[in-house]
Amino acid sequence: MDASALNNPRLKALIEEERTKALANELVAKLTDVCWDKCITGSIGSSFSKSETSCLSNCAKRFAELKMLTMQKLTSSSR
Amino acid sequence: MDSFSSPSLSPSGNPNPEAVMEQIKAQLAQAYAQEFLETVGKKCFEKCVTKPGSSLSGSESSCISRCVDRYIEATGIVSRALFSSQR
Repeated sequence: MDASALNNPRLKALIEEERTKALANELVAKLTDVCWDKCITGSIGSSFSKSETSCLSNCAKRFAELKMLTMQKLTSSSR
Repeated sequence: MDSFSSPSLSPSGNPNPEAVMEQIKAQLAQAYAQEFLETVGKKCFEKCVTKPGSSLSGSESSCISRCVDRYIEATGIVSRALFSSQR
């Protein structure tokens, strides 16, 4: 496949869609890594406790907020 | 894996987008699965194997089994928290 294949607009659109999915997967993977360390501190049971579940959920949302705030701060302070 | 052999090309020699996408998706899935395995292995080793012996004990093995399930569950919780809440 030579480089001119990338001029195919349909292929470009499909690749862009996969790229978006891959980025989302990466974000989930990274957040699960971080939030597991923060929230799953005790021994491993056969299910999560309620507090572990809400910790994981909150952790993900707070991290996403933090990311957004950080980006806002960076883009505003560069003016 | 030879990415350039004929199935990706239609008779006119132009790349078949669907076939190319299948290869791309397969490679992405493989890379993702590998990363997932490494992460889960590390987390569950930390949690379950506190004093490595000459083999895995029964309790270590069942801890690891639970841990893998929990990590998969955690991934689902995080994914839903990120992508299904409307703000």
